Amino acid sequence: MPFLDFLKSTLVIGLLESAPLMLAAVGFTLIFCLNGFINIAYAENLTIGAYLAVTFNAMLGWNYYLSIIPASLLAGVVSVLTYLLVFRPAMKRGVGKTEMIILSVGLSFVLRFGINLIYGSELFNFNISKTYYLSFFGMGITSTQLICLGLALIIALGFYLFMYKTNYGQIMRALSDNENLAMVSGINPIKVSILVWFLAGVAGGLAGIFTGVFTWVHSSIGWNVILVILLVAIIGRVGSVRGALIAGASIGIITTAVTLVTQPAYGEIALLIIFIIFLKFRKAEV
Amino acid sequence: MKLQEKKLHLKNIMKSFGGRKVVDIKELAIGIDGIEGLIGPNGAGKTTLINLITHKLRMDHGQVFYYSNGKEIDISKKSFDEIARLGMVRTNQVIQDFQSLTIKDSLLLSLATPRYERFYSIFSEKKLRKSAEQEIEKYLDYFHFENPDGHALSAGEKKLLDIIRCLLLKPKVLLMDEPTSGLPQNQTDLVIALMRKKTREEGMSILIVEHNLDLIWGVSENVYFMAEGEILIEGPPDEVRKNKTVVKKYMGEGDA
Amino acid sequence: MGQILSGYYIYMFSLLLVFIALATILHLQFGVTGIANFGLSIFWGFGMYAFALLVLKLNIPFVLAVILATVLTGIIALVLGRFILNLDSQSVLVATLAFLVIIEVLITQEKWLTNGVMGIGPIPFPFDFGVYTKFVYFLIILLFTVALMLYAGKLHSAPYGRLLLSIQDNEPLAQSLGKPTFRQKIIFFTFTCALAGFFGAMAAPVYNFLFPKYLGAEVTFTLWIALILGSRKRLFGGLVGVLVTVGLFDVLLETVVPIPEQNAVILYNAKYFLYGLTLVLVLMFRPSGILGDKKRSINIRNTSKLEKKEG
Repeated sequence: MPFLDFLKSTLVIGLLESAPLMLAAVGFTLIFCLNGFINIAYAENLTIGAYLAVTFNAMLGWNYYLSIIPASLLAGVVSVLTYLLVFRPAMKRGVGKTEMIILSVGLSFVLRFGINLIYGSELFNFNISKTYYLSFFGMGITSTQLICLGLALIIALGFYLFMYKTNYGQIMRALSDNENLAMVSGINPIKVSILVWFLAGVAGGLAGIFTGVFTWVHSSIGWNVILVILLVAIIGRVGSVRGALIAGASIGIITTAVTLVTQPAYGEIALLIIFIIFLKFRKAEV
Repeated sequence: MKLQEKKLHLKNIMKSFGGRKVVDIKELAIGIDGIEGLIGPNGAGKTTLINLITHKLRMDHGQVFYYSNGKEIDISKKSFDEIARLGMVRTNQVIQDFQSLTIKDSLLLSLATPRYERFYSIFSEKKLRKSAEQEIEKYLDYFHFENPDGHALSAGEKKLLDIIRCLLLKPKVLLMDEPTSGLPQNQTDLVIALMRKKTREEGMSILIVEHNLDLIWGVSENVYFMAEGEILIEGPPDEVRKNKTVVKKYMGEGDA
Repeated sequence: MGQILSGYYIYMFSLLLVFIALATILHLQFGVTGIANFGLSIFWGFGMYAFALLVLKLNIPFVLAVILATVLTGIIALVLGRFILNLDSQSVLVATLAFLVIIEVLITQEKWLTNGVMGIGPIPFPFDFGVYTKFVYFLIILLFTVALMLYAGKLHSAPYGRLLLSIQDNEPLAQSLGKPTFRQKIIFFTFTCALAGFFGAMAAPVYNFLFPKYLGAEVTFTLWIALILGSRKRLFGGLVGVLVTVGLFDVLLETVVPIPEQNAVILYNAKYFLYGLTLVLVLMFRPSGILGDKKRSINIRNTSKLEKKEG
């Protein structure tokens, strides 16, 4: 197709498709910002969000868009629970940074296979009443999907505004895993932590819910993308929410471009190489 | 001091942290066959300088030349461990230790040369112990370690261990960053006596960074005074301690 | 007698040995040197598949194929190690995890490589002793596993082992003593990953047909939980851990307690659920594992003057 069209499609589609990813990356970065470790179990935030939405929607018969609200809020609650029951006690016991990652992988398995035990291994689908099929910049898409992507984008921007333009957001950004600093500045560190983990959980849950519109909902939807989330967070210089958003959008755009031109398999190899390259860049700057 | 007699030449060394110049030295030669002292107020950049020379920290720009066996080696770009292998070793100001290794382990680690440390050489421990036992025993006796088969427990023991590990490497240049801080007086005396012996008998060059001025005056043949990232004064102890700038900037803080 | 020797038990015990070997290799990489390799199963699987392709497609004789597979695995490890081993511990973990996940995706997509769910095979044994073939092969695997454990045990008290421990303990300090830590990490990583490839090649005839899931995250994860549970710093940590996890779930449960078909899926999910739970609990409450931490002590057998002085 002519180059200008290609560019337009790539930008728009890439941006939209990366919206859930951007959301997830933001949530992931929030946790890394605050506690300084990589939480692989974050993948399950997405999965749990999607499954909760399925519960409300397909099982309880709620309207899809309505289901999003309780599902994402509950996902936030689950996230806070993992913090209070697992991660916080672990940190208090002096578990090292590397061991924390291993622990989070373990937790990821607990949650993922726990979901399998509760919900069974079947694949789920959202029950969406009215949906139209559109052609959007040369891509076949349903109206629901389009709306979801749009919502994701708006919410991602909302997070950006919250983190960078409000007082509370700025305070959260300024706090690293430094409880003393928090206490000295008169802020209750536990409250802030709970809020951060809640927001991260909501972000992840939403990302999962929106992603679930494009594919089947199964217990690995989070695990499948945790790497990309991690990559986005690393590229966005783990620790910067703004960076996560920009990186997420870029990755989405680049991936779209690559997919339009070549096979997805090469994209995977490229991903690994990019991953390692950015890990090294990150180290070089430290 | 003639330039050629010194082991290290530094040229145009500069390091800034966040816009602030921490070290800025146009030209400096250190490393006589003997003991030299480096003094200066806190924050002068002494530790940073040592980190730059041994390449633990990267300089913004500059060159370091190392003279050994009549050869000039540019060590500005060499890695941290390479420089140690070339014979330039430093002790640590902040206590560094191997928590999982015993005292004897540490010493044996120092003494193990590359031919012992190959992934397929799993039977070489006996040989290593045999070749090492005399030396290790000398040091263990000299400093009266309580439990050499155990771990170094007190800060003093860890400091001493740090020094012995470095000495076992038989370096040509030894940079010591506040080696006696935190040590009881008798241990300090032992360390100083050992330093004197090493420079006399083995031609080692030792540079000591210290706040204990009496120690510096007593043991150094040459003293450098550093402040705000620059070397301002160099000379024999008697001259430096009388120098007006030194007195003004530092002796007020200097302690016994 | 022949029934037992060539039957299910031999199959299970042979694989159990291989897993013990792999867990011990992980102990060497993570417990001793501090390299958090989350992609160990990839090297093992690569050795397995390389061997299979060499034997089946290129008709290369058994022993040569094993050697080639091992060397090729080592080369991959060398390349990967070159790039990631000078990063910090977390980055190594994340990078090897990325390696694992991405290779997994590649394997599932590029079906021509692995023949998808139909598998590659059948892979023949290198000799034929009738009903005793599998038993003899089991003995050979046993031999190599024991050899590996002997090597690992000797390593603990050897100068090289001390070097590796110092790298894990305080790498900058080791460097300040002139140790070329990056180079040594690469060498050891290459060597141990090649060993993993070796055991992969040896495991191929036991499996008979190879499937992509052998390279997967589940194998790596099982090894990790086995090691952490068993004690990462102890020589027998891998052995104990594997016996408690794989030995319990895959051998004991399957053979002694027959599981009806419909519960197989539940068992599968429950197994990994419990594995994850155990990993979390162990890291939180007993991070040193079942066997606990290792106490460094001077070898008493040495009769030099050094020891006599201690009395």
